[in-house]
Formats: sequence, C-alpha cells, structure tokens
Amino acid sequence: MKTIKSLAAAALFSTALATTAFAQDQVNLTWQMWGSDEADIAAWQHLADMVTEQHPDIKVTLQTAPWNDYWTKLPVLAASGQLGDIVAMQSLRMPNFYSILEPLNERVKADNFDIDAFDSSIIGGMSVGDEVYGLPYDVGPWMIFYNKDMFAAAGVAEPEAGWTFDEFVETAKALTKDGNYGAGVTPQNYSLIATALGDHYITDGKLDLTNPGAISAAESLIGLVATDKVAPVVASGADPGAFVSGRFDAGNIGMYIDGPWAMINKIDNVDFKIGLAPLPRGEGDLAAATAGSGFGISTTSQHKDAAWQAIQVLTGPEALDYLASQGRALPARTAQQATWFDVAAKDVAGAREALEYSLAHSATYEITDNFNAVENLFNQYFPQAFAGSASAEDTMKTIQSLAENQ
Amino acid sequence: MADIVSTSVPPTRRPRRKNKISAAETRTAFLFLLPSLLGFLAFMLIPIIASLGLSFTNWQLLKPPEFVGFSNYIRLLTTDPSFFKVLGNTLFFTIEYLVLNIVISLTLAVWISSLKRGQQWFRVIFFIPTFTPTIAVSVVWLLIFTPGGVMDYVFQSLSLNFPNLLLDGNLAMQAVIIVTLWASVGYNMVLFNAALDMVPQSYLEAAKIDGASAWDRFWKIRLPLISPTIFFGTVMTAITSLQVFDQIYVITRGGPGSSTATLGFAIYTNGFQNYQMGYASSLAWVMFVMIMALTGFQFWLQRKWVHYDA
Repeated sequence: MKTIKSLAAAALFSTALATTAFAQDQVNLTWQMWGSDEADIAAWQHLADMVTEQHPDIKVTLQTAPWNDYWTKLPVLAASGQLGDIVAMQSLRMPNFYSILEPLNERVKADNFDIDAFDSSIIGGMSVGDEVYGLPYDVGPWMIFYNKDMFAAAGVAEPEAGWTFDEFVETAKALTKDGNYGAGVTPQNYSLIATALGDHYITDGKLDLTNPGAISAAESLIGLVATDKVAPVVASGADPGAFVSGRFDAGNIGMYIDGPWAMINKIDNVDFKIGLAPLPRGEGDLAAATAGSGFGISTTSQHKDAAWQAIQVLTGPEALDYLASQGRALPARTAQQATWFDVAAKDVAGAREALEYSLAHSATYEITDNFNAVENLFNQYFPQAFAGSASAEDTMKTIQSLAENQ
Repeated sequence: MADIVSTSVPPTRRPRRKNKISAAETRTAFLFLLPSLLGFLAFMLIPIIASLGLSFTNWQLLKPPEFVGFSNYIRLLTTDPSFFKVLGNTLFFTIEYLVLNIVISLTLAVWISSLKRGQQWFRVIFFIPTFTPTIAVSVVWLLIFTPGGVMDYVFQSLSLNFPNLLLDGNLAMQAVIIVTLWASVGYNMVLFNAALDMVPQSYLEAAKIDGASAWDRFWKIRLPLISPTIFFGTVMTAITSLQVFDQIYVITRGGPGSSTATLGFAIYTNGFQNYQMGYASSLAWVMFVMIMALTGFQFWLQRKWVHYDA
C-alpha cells in the first residue's frame, strides 16, 4: 500500500515537473567569460547556477577562455555572429568593444534599477559617454602584494600606506638576497607605475610616451631591473604577468603588483602570509589606477530580456557577496565590499587599509584606442631595457613611433 | 606500355574505347577525390580568395569592412616601420635554418646508414621530436632559455659569461633556430636515410673496386642519387620555415624588440592582437608571394643539381 502511494506520488510529482517545464519557455543563454583555472571557472559556474535558481526558466551556459585568449576570441566570435548572449567586458576594453553591446540606459530606467548601489567610478568605466553598456561585478585598484614572511626573515619593516617609490626601492634592496628578489615587475606594470607616480603617458587622448614624465616613469620601472637589480628580468615570451605571479607564489619574489581579483588564487597557492599595501607614490599624492569588469548583453542576442534578468543576478548582492568571499572580486556594489576583506582577505595583513587608501586615491587607468597594441609593444621592447642593452628613453621613443604607425 | 596496348587493339576502334574508359574512370576518380576537394575548397581555396579580398579592406572585425584599395600594401611598403625588419627576420631565419637543417639531417642520415646495428633505434630517437607538438617542445625550451633558467645556470657554473639568448637582440633568433632544428631535423633525416638505403649497393661496390674513396663515393655517387629527395626536403623545409610561428609565439613573442618578429608572427599580431584583419591579410599575401617565388626559384635551380636518372 505504502509503495503504491509513494509511486503515485512520484508519478504525480514528475508530471507536475513536466508541466512546469512545458508551461514556462526555457531560455538558454550563453555567457562569454574569461577564466584561467579551476577555482576561477568553478566560481563563475556557481554564478551561472545562481541565475537558474532565481529564474528557473533561464539556463546559463558558461563559455570560458583564459584572459589573453578571451580578447583574441571575442572579436572573432563577434565578427562571425557567434557571440553569446552575455558578454564579460573589462572597463579598459569598453571603448574598443562597446559597439557589440546593447545600451542599457533604457532598461535601467524602465525597471527602476538601482544603479547607484554600484561604485560610481566603475559605472563610469562601464559607460561610453552617458550610456551604460554593462553592469559591473568588480572594481579594484592595483596594489602591492607582499610576502610577509620574507619581510620578517629579512628584518625589514612592512610597507605603509603613503610610502614613496624611493622607500619601495630601498625595501626591495633590503629583501634582495639569497637568490630572492625584493620585487617583481612586468612591462605592462608601466602604466600603473606611471600613474602612481603622477606621470602621464597620454596627452589629449593621444599616446605621449616621450614627455619627460613618461620617460622618468619608464626609468623608475626599468631601473628596478636594470640598475638596482631588485627584480628579475622578464623575457618577452610567455606571459610575464603569470611568470612574476608564479615566482611570488613560489616565495622567490618579495613584492609584486596585482589586484583584489587575484586573491582567489593566492589563498590556495601560497604557503606564507601575504600582506597588502597601496602602490608607492611619487612626490605628490598617490594616484592608484583602477579597473573593473562587468557583463553586457550582446546586440545579436535573441533573448535580450532574459539576458538582462541574468546579468542582474550575476551582479546582484548575493553573487557579488559570493565572489568577494572567494577572493575573486572586490564587489562593484559598495555595500558588499566589506565581504572581500572580512572573508577572503581576513588573514591578509593590511588588506583593508591598503584597499581603502587606494580607493580614496583612485585614478582613471589612461588608455588609447589601440592600447592593446601599445601593451604588446611594452612586452616586446622593455626586456632589452631590463637587460641593460637599451636606455629607457630610446625604448619609449621606439614604442611611441611604432604605436603611431599601427 | 602504351605501344604494347595500341598494337593489341585495332587502330580504328582504339580512340573511342579509350575515351569511354577514361570518361568512366574520370568520374570515379572525381568521386574519390571529392572529399578532399571539398575540404580543399572549404578550408583552403575559398579562405585564400577571401583573404585576398580582405587585404583590400580595412576590416577590424567589429565593424563591416570598407574597401580601401591598395592602401594596406602601400602602408606596408612605405610607412610601416617594422615591415622590412620583419621581412629581413623571416629571410634570415629561413636561410640559416634551411642550411643547418639540411646539413645536420644529411649528416645524421649518413651516419645512421653507416651503422652496423641499431639503425632503427636511432631513426626512432631522432624522429620523436617531429611528432611532438611544437608548442610543447617550445615550452620546455623556454624553461631552458628563460633568464635565470637551466642554460644560464649551466653557463654560470662553468664560469662562462655568456649573455642570455632571449634578452639579446642579436642572439634571440638563434634560440628560435636551435629549437626548430631540434624539433624538425628528424623528418628530413628519416627521408634522407630512406633514400640512402635505396642507393644500389652494386654501384658503391663497383666504385670501391675502382678505388674510389669513401669521400668520393658520397659526393659523386650517393649524393647525386639521392638528390631528388634532398630537393623535396629542401623545398618543404623552406616553405615551413617561411611560415614559422609556434616557436616564436611561445618563446619570444617577437622580442626582444622586434628581433624575432617574422611574417607569420606579424600576421598574428596585426590580425588577432591589434584587430587589423585587412592589414594582416595583406601581410599574408606578401608571405604567399614570397613562398611561391622561393619555391619557383628552387624548381628553376634544381635543373642544375638534381638527377632523376637513377
């Protein structure tokens, strides 16, 4: 009797399920996202599942590519009309790619969507002119990640907010011994260092690498490797960022530059205590370049309304809380930001101070339309200067002339 | 053969019957060739023609292409500061690599064919790198060459002050050539080795009896007899080396500076990094013309040194 009852219940239940599935039209969305390793991709998959939890009729399929490949793949997908419905976009690349994204102002207005819950600087980063093209999930200044244990072993004082570039160099010198390097830098760190020191490499929207400030910033960066020898030489091949980050994880480099989004990997990868400090400043106040990312709707999507619902979940308080606790992102929603330093960075010395100080001194990451090409030229030409076979000035002049002719 | 067939068939009926057979055979042959023909059309011919069309546009992937006439080619030949450097790098790589590849693979082939035992083993050992993916090979070599890597360590422990290959603009190309040689010398080696084994033993014995030295036997008998194979190896190696990309992508990314930027790499950078597909297509056509010209030149040159009368 009991079995018959439960069988009947099961039958009823399954018909009920079937009818709901038929009643609501199932929408399948594709989500173009970057993701480099398992931890990363698992976090994004969790977010995709969150969408289905809140909107059972929407199913989001995650498609990831590693960061560098993502930017190769994206325009190709767009050109061949195979772009997914939801497209991840970084603020620095928005000027190049906004044409493939749906403008969102009208939807925001129609739904009375509370866009002020987001950090205003990153809403700016997700906009072109006054039009918003994506909802942001994170925002973040680049900071110095340091190996606390290495500082203790060398008896060197840990960095404090407001420290200068000269103090940074002295600290790196004190840490450089026994085959370890005090710092690790990549050619692409140039824009961050230049901004932090208050120098400008873009004048009136045009690349200007040869003004005295831009050259002196290059000298500061290159000097760390070429003359002070407190940072290892990075060759132009492979991925310099991964190289430096990997040597930091291995305990071979004392300090390097990264953002809050990197915490997800640092937590698992390192077996020493990490500290965080703002970037060092020049003569004046610190200007910490910030960037962030978000999700837009592709203009070619067949399910724009569903995609709009989905990106609201993906950038909703719950999703951002989750990303923050995983150390994957400093939430773009100001109310959720505390989760990042309370959960993900709870064992990281100075995380809160470094982050708040950097955000208080945040600055726009200056870019040109072809900054992709400029960054490639940095990667190609800085190693010679790192090795001491070309001066900073000549390197900048070469890059400037090549970039102008791109 | 043809004469024998024609004598056995009455002359009046011959042409009709032959045509009938060959028409049926042509149809069958065409059907059998169809799969590869479709593949050739879809993945080779149509894209090649499309890229020629694109090379006259300013296509940047996100916007529809606009016709710009010859301006990509004009820019390439006049304003692009890196084009001639890239062209020079490509030719430098091709010539040095081609000469070294042929000399080393021929030497190895001769050495292996002279062995009394273990020939198969050595052939396999030298052939292994050929079927290992170039990307994987390059990653391993990158770990050897990278600043502070294995090679620096070896030079340091020998107290030799040798600059790091990847940081020196004059030496970086040598690193790429070393990797490419290691990875692909085995192919030509197996090819030449097989050809050497086909040289009739009787010729060599006759020469030996006539008092020819080993040196003379190689230069005057074996080398001319395997010259068609060497020609094939040279042409194929020249074509692949003009297209070199994988190793450079992994090991140097065209750097330091532009010292290892080749045509293949420049096409990738312009097309997929700077999103200038039109310009990249015009570079691709320069590469295509270069390969055609070089191959044509080699075919012209072969009349002087290749012997087909074995």
